[in-house]
Amino acid sequence: MKSKNYSKKISEVFKKRGFVFSEPDILLDSNYIIQRSGENFKKLMLTFEDDSGKSMCLRPDLTVASCVKYLEDNSRRASKIYYSGQAYRRSNNSKDSIINDQVGLEIIGSEKKTSDNKEVINTILKSINKIKIKNVIVNIGDVSLFRQLIDSLKIPERWKLRLIRHFWRPKYFEDLLGILEANSDIDPITVDFDKKRFSEMKKLNQNQEIAGRKIYEILSRFDKKIRDPRSFAEGKKTAKIIKEFLKISCPIDQMDKYLEKFFKKYNIKKNLIKNELPIKSLLRSNYKIIFSANFGRDIEYYTGMVFEILTKKNKREIARGGRYDDLLKSLGSKQNISAVGAAINLNNLSKVTR
Amino acid sequence: MKEIVTIGLPSKGRLKESTLKLLKKNNLKLISKGGDRDYFASLNNLPNAKVIYLHAREIIERLGDGTLDIGISGLDLLYESAINLQKKIKVMKKLDFGKADLVVAVPNDWIDVQTVADLEEVSFYFRDKKNSRLRVATKYPNLTNKFFTSKGVTQYKIITSLGATEIYPFTGSSEIITDIASTGSTLKANNLRILKDGSILKTQACILASKESLPDIKKRQIVKLF
Repeated sequence: MKSKNYSKKISEVFKKRGFVFSEPDILLDSNYIIQRSGENFKKLMLTFEDDSGKSMCLRPDLTVASCVKYLEDNSRRASKIYYSGQAYRRSNNSKDSIINDQVGLEIIGSEKKTSDNKEVINTILKSINKIKIKNVIVNIGDVSLFRQLIDSLKIPERWKLRLIRHFWRPKYFEDLLGILEANSDIDPITVDFDKKRFSEMKKLNQNQEIAGRKIYEILSRFDKKIRDPRSFAEGKKTAKIIKEFLKISCPIDQMDKYLEKFFKKYNIKKNLIKNELPIKSLLRSNYKIIFSANFGRDIEYYTGMVFEILTKKNKREIARGGRYDDLLKSLGSKQNISAVGAAINLNNLSKVTR
Repeated sequence: MKEIVTIGLPSKGRLKESTLKLLKKNNLKLISKGGDRDYFASLNNLPNAKVIYLHAREIIERLGDGTLDIGISGLDLLYESAINLQKKIKVMKKLDFGKADLVVAVPNDWIDVQTVADLEEVSFYFRDKKNSRLRVATKYPNLTNKFFTSKGVTQYKIITSLGATEIYPFTGSSEIITDIASTGSTLKANNLRILKDGSILKTQACILASKESLPDIKKRQIVKLF
């Protein structure tokens, strides 16, 4: 009951700010999701086979479901939508509920990135205020900063891609930094042996496939890999820069100062790295806002600003959101479609106001 | 509480041969009324024990549901089983046979793939260029999923294999495999090689017991005879 009232009040705020109600489908094609999120995500989804043998699932996430709807409707215009409904997924934490009541909003297909970011975070803060939740902390980050930092470093392309891909898996990311530091991903003995095979394979039909890969593709990747110019010292230095960057955490009003100090220390041109956070607007708010370079590493589809709102007392998450400019393309769109959104967790909201 | 202690032994292969040697070494003689094809047996000096020959995977299942009190099977099969089953089974003793590794193996000619990190890169190639996921043939989907997740590999698809997994990459059924290797010679003979950091699990034969049966002292004492 309580969560219904909250949903109603929050929806009113969304409507007043020009968001239009949209109801995403409850049932989605599982393969659609697994293709994007990978095999491991499968076990978190609630799936079943329909009569034709097609694997279907209950929507695991309302953002993904909203994007699927946007693509199915063939919308070409910028959409400001809101939804109120349930997402269904298992969690790695057995205490979490499978059913999550959410009310959220999305801006899809608009290129006004900084102002859209501002609108999303301000609308969420306004909604929280409307239902009289006062003592909250806002954690904010911008995952594009990490991507830009990696792009600015002098490391081989495949290492750049690898680090960016695994930013979302903090534990494995640490292992990768260890490999980078020790330069241990190339085994000289095996490479010597494989060089002989490389010469032999060069004489074969280059379009011949070996377990789904053409010979020229294998040889070209092998060649690129053994030409890797990285030395041990550089790997160690790169790992140090990345580790130090991820330690940056400060109140939002000091973010520029901390980042500048970091860029200066490692001689990184600061014009190479820009954020799209609505800083001025955030500085005017009365909330405690913490910037952290390490924040937002648990949901793979975020590409820029990412934030969460927690209660001060027991650090319970009541809202979360961010920019996800690549998601629609990975769901099948032929063009890049920018998007940003956020959702309020009604289950947690009811718990904190109990 | 049951009077009879039910023991599950592997019904075929090297695991059976080594189990029989172990019993012989410990003066436990098996008696089968129906000869070699009999699925049941008794032990000469343990009149209250009943032996059932089962597939090593079946032994895990039956320990889990309490049909068996004690069994000999592989650690790999225990860890591959469902979590709720594993919780009902205790490893009593690790035995000195059935030693092998569960490994990730790729075609020999994938000379650019030496590590799991390489494999992860190649899996993205399959996703981006071929709009498909790298297929991994295995008899161990759970252990494989767990391992790949820990190593950051997400873009793959499990193909459940029932046997002769080594040939899957060359019949078009999968690109790579995970399989049990004791010396690695079978993989080598089938033009596959193990990744440098591709060891998923070190396994060996074990004496396992159903946790339900453990409070029974008689049953605990039988374990000591092996």
